[in-house]
Amino acid sequence: MAVDRKAAVFLAAHALRLLLALFFPSLPNLLTGRVEVSTPITSFKRLQEGLYLYQRNVSPYDGGVYHQAPILLPLFSLLPNANMSPLITAIFFSLVDLVNADALITIADSGQAVSGRFYTALRKHIRWDGLSIAAWFLFNPFTIATCLGRSTAVFTTTGILYAMSNAVSGNSLNAMLALGFASYLSIYPALLFIPLVLLCYDQRAQKPTPPGMASFAIKHFMIFLFSIAGLLGVSSLIVDDFPQFVSATYGFQLLVPDLTPNVGLWWYFFIEIFDSFREFFLGVFWLHLAAYVGGMTVRIRRQPLFVLTSLLGIFAIFKPYPSISDASLYFALLPLYRHLFPLMRYTFFAISAILYATLLGPAFYYLWIYAGSGNANFFYAITLVWSLGLSILLADIIFAALRDEWEYDNPEIRGKDVRQV
Amino acid sequence: MTGKNEDPGSSSTPTDTTMSSKSSVQRLPPPEKPEAVWTRFKIIAAFWAVIVFLGFPIWWKTTSIYRARLPVQEMVEWADGKTCRPVFPLEIRFETPSLPDSEAQHLLRTTQHTLDDLNEFSAHHLRLKLSEDTLAANNRDERQLHITTDGKADTALIVRLLPQDDLTSPRSELHLDTTQLDVYYPPSQIPPPSSSNPPLSAYIAGELQQLFTEEKAIIAQILSDNNAMGSTNTPASSNNQQPSRMLNSISPQLAETISRRLRRSMKYADTYHLAFSLFAPGSSPSSWDIQPAVDEYIAPLLHAFAPISNFTVDTQVQLYATFSPTAPPPEYDESQATWTLKQEDLSAFINAAEWPLSPSIGNGPTINFILYVPAPSQSPMVVKESSATSWIIPQWGGVFILNPPLSTATGAPSNPTHLSQASLGPAFLTFSHQLLTLLGAPATPTSLPFRLQTLIRIRAADLLLSASSTMGSLARLTESLPSIPIPAAVATSVSTTLSHLASACVHLREGRFQAALASARVAETEAERSFFEKSMVGQVYFPDEHKVAVYLPLLGPVGVPLIVGLLREIKRIVASWKARRAGS
Repeated sequence: MAVDRKAAVFLAAHALRLLLALFFPSLPNLLTGRVEVSTPITSFKRLQEGLYLYQRNVSPYDGGVYHQAPILLPLFSLLPNANMSPLITAIFFSLVDLVNADALITIADSGQAVSGRFYTALRKHIRWDGLSIAAWFLFNPFTIATCLGRSTAVFTTTGILYAMSNAVSGNSLNAMLALGFASYLSIYPALLFIPLVLLCYDQRAQKPTPPGMASFAIKHFMIFLFSIAGLLGVSSLIVDDFPQFVSATYGFQLLVPDLTPNVGLWWYFFIEIFDSFREFFLGVFWLHLAAYVGGMTVRIRRQPLFVLTSLLGIFAIFKPYPSISDASLYFALLPLYRHLFPLMRYTFFAISAILYATLLGPAFYYLWIYAGSGNANFFYAITLVWSLGLSILLADIIFAALRDEWEYDNPEIRGKDVRQV
Repeated sequence: MTGKNEDPGSSSTPTDTTMSSKSSVQRLPPPEKPEAVWTRFKIIAAFWAVIVFLGFPIWWKTTSIYRARLPVQEMVEWADGKTCRPVFPLEIRFETPSLPDSEAQHLLRTTQHTLDDLNEFSAHHLRLKLSEDTLAANNRDERQLHITTDGKADTALIVRLLPQDDLTSPRSELHLDTTQLDVYYPPSQIPPPSSSNPPLSAYIAGELQQLFTEEKAIIAQILSDNNAMGSTNTPASSNNQQPSRMLNSISPQLAETISRRLRRSMKYADTYHLAFSLFAPGSSPSSWDIQPAVDEYIAPLLHAFAPISNFTVDTQVQLYATFSPTAPPPEYDESQATWTLKQEDLSAFINAAEWPLSPSIGNGPTINFILYVPAPSQSPMVVKESSATSWIIPQWGGVFILNPPLSTATGAPSNPTHLSQASLGPAFLTFSHQLLTLLGAPATPTSLPFRLQTLIRIRAADLLLSASSTMGSLARLTESLPSIPIPAAVATSVSTTLSHLASACVHLREGRFQAALASARVAETEAERSFFEKSMVGQVYFPDEHKVAVYLPLLGPVGVPLIVGLLREIKRIVASWKARRAGS
């Protein structure tokens, strides 16, 4: 019965994507061109350019358009040309979404979100089952747009979700390999290593004869490094010019030379900043992104899965080239914490801000780029609103988690109002 | 950011959990557990570890300014003219085929004496020299070709003394195509060894003085301009006084010539772009023999200018080029049967808005030469007052109105469709003349090689002083703005400039002007490059106070909770440490 329900949800999601692609043939190309969906490091158009060069035995990084990992090239060479047969590509991306949803079901059904090694949520009875969460992910308009826009960010999403699902099911080796894959595609998932290894360790520690914490972490760090090194080795077989590949992909993601507008906060800032301070603020922004890892991990040590979720939310706001696919990953993980929703205080405001930005963002972008009656500040203002909405949601759920922990620690004041002075 | 603020906020003491009703007994929040305090300490330590171990090194690495060391003192001394005093010892060779050696020597001595008496500008002086080999007359031309290669001074002028019987007084003749002055004298005027001031010496000295008047005045002008611009703290030495004294003594006509030369000529550049444009208001002429014309009339001149500047040549043909609508149209003059342009309207002749005369082709100024063929209905066209067909546009280029013979073969008179090289001849002769003027060649004397050599000396002086003053400006700039970076490339350029300036100065002193100009050109190019280095001037207008505005808006909000958290943690640690000491 459960299998049937799952098959129904998956089939419906798959059919919805294919029907959208079939009945609106221009929709995939429209979404591919949207700055909200495609960033310079995930754009399908740029992938096609790299693919074209690759298939003609030219270095895909020549011309400075392609900035994605080379391992995608042989993979997409197997698929027929997306312009000739768009349906095959649509089916492929749709299947990737289903794979992601499957990983999400594993994470949800493990129950790690509500009860872990050190901690069991008080309201653990308020929760959704895995299939509902998968359906929430699959029918989220952001996910559908990302899928139709064929953003290659979905592969990073796959890596992250599989790292988490393997970690919660105690399969720590696979978790490290999946995280290595995600980090290889786009650097920032490497920051998830610490909470992820804690999650793995918590799973391992519940089994007999747990190893020491330090040796466990070091061992997994080596696995993580080896998986990345292996992927880089495979890449060096695909591309001839290894330094060019590194500077075109990782150098590009770290130094942010392309300031095409996106939903993030970096592009406008780096357009405006004085050139001589550019390097400094690049360092500041990256450190800002990295600084949360330590603090969050220490503070919410008892719920490493929640740390992972919140860090993904932070990355969706503060990473250099964010798109709605990062937000959709965060939204996919949020319902795992359904039991925290009653403790949240600003859900209405946060959801309003996100909806407002979602609707007005494309309009303001149109006003700026096509109509010419607005300027860059219009779009930047709306990305600020978008980030504000996400930040409020993020802060609110972190507050709710801490409140939950507080009530767990202080049973005598459960149900009392909290007031900050 | 918000997430981070939440961390200490919700876990620390301010989370006041009172009952909703104030009337009930005030309950304090439960005391913090030691683990919570320890957790908070770890969180703050985690954030500060990132800041201290990653943030500060990045801050230090990315905002430190690289300042290469510059020889500031040396640069300032160059600008103040303390290192090099430009002198122009011109060597003049005497060839006296018909005079015995001793008499020639005597004549030379007395002439030199007279010259020195006449000259009031010691930086520029003529040194007379007897040609050492009698064969000189034969291979003179050969020697002139490679004057710069040996270590000897350039010969500015060759004076040949030739006796001529039927003369009562000496007369002189300057060759137009070489730097040679022939002096014919009656044999009776050969000075006896006893006379101290023979008339022939006086005559030769006067002639030489006359030849170099304009050059001397221009150089004096350049030197005095530089002194006027230079720092005022330099004591007015005799050297500085001299150019102005020299300038005071020149005639008004000469002063006018000099200032006109300055007004008209282009600013010196290493490379000039010559653009020859054919404009016609109709469809013809649509082709011209430009390549042979340039080869014939312009290329030899450019070759002669090669030591001074480089040139590129571009040409274009523009048909249907109309006058600007605001320009007054030409008027028909019945008496001369010509269409005339008023002299005061010539400035509006170029239709700058529509004629494609690009202001710059690549790096360096463009000199435009415009050949305008008027429409058959307005032909011939001349300037009203002077009936001239060409004029010069100062610091921009030249215009020539070509009125070709109209062909009436097809009924209505029409312009020829092709301009042959022969019909372009007068225009290009005019252009070559205008080019000389635009490049700043002095107006006198008539000999072209002579004028070019003069121009070499003028440009050498010009560039030497301008590169020196650029060095001074660069030194002052780097001194006054300690916050600007000085890339290593600038230091390299400065040292190249200084070494070439020094060699130019030595070459000048020893009279090798062409070598001096070559060094001065390198010095000028490098000086300009170092002064206009892009990464250096980027921060010229960026005072330190602006850094507050750069840092605070972002780092302020991020920093305040971090710093407050750190301070509170330190306070707590100090308090607990004191309590422990008091307890023990």
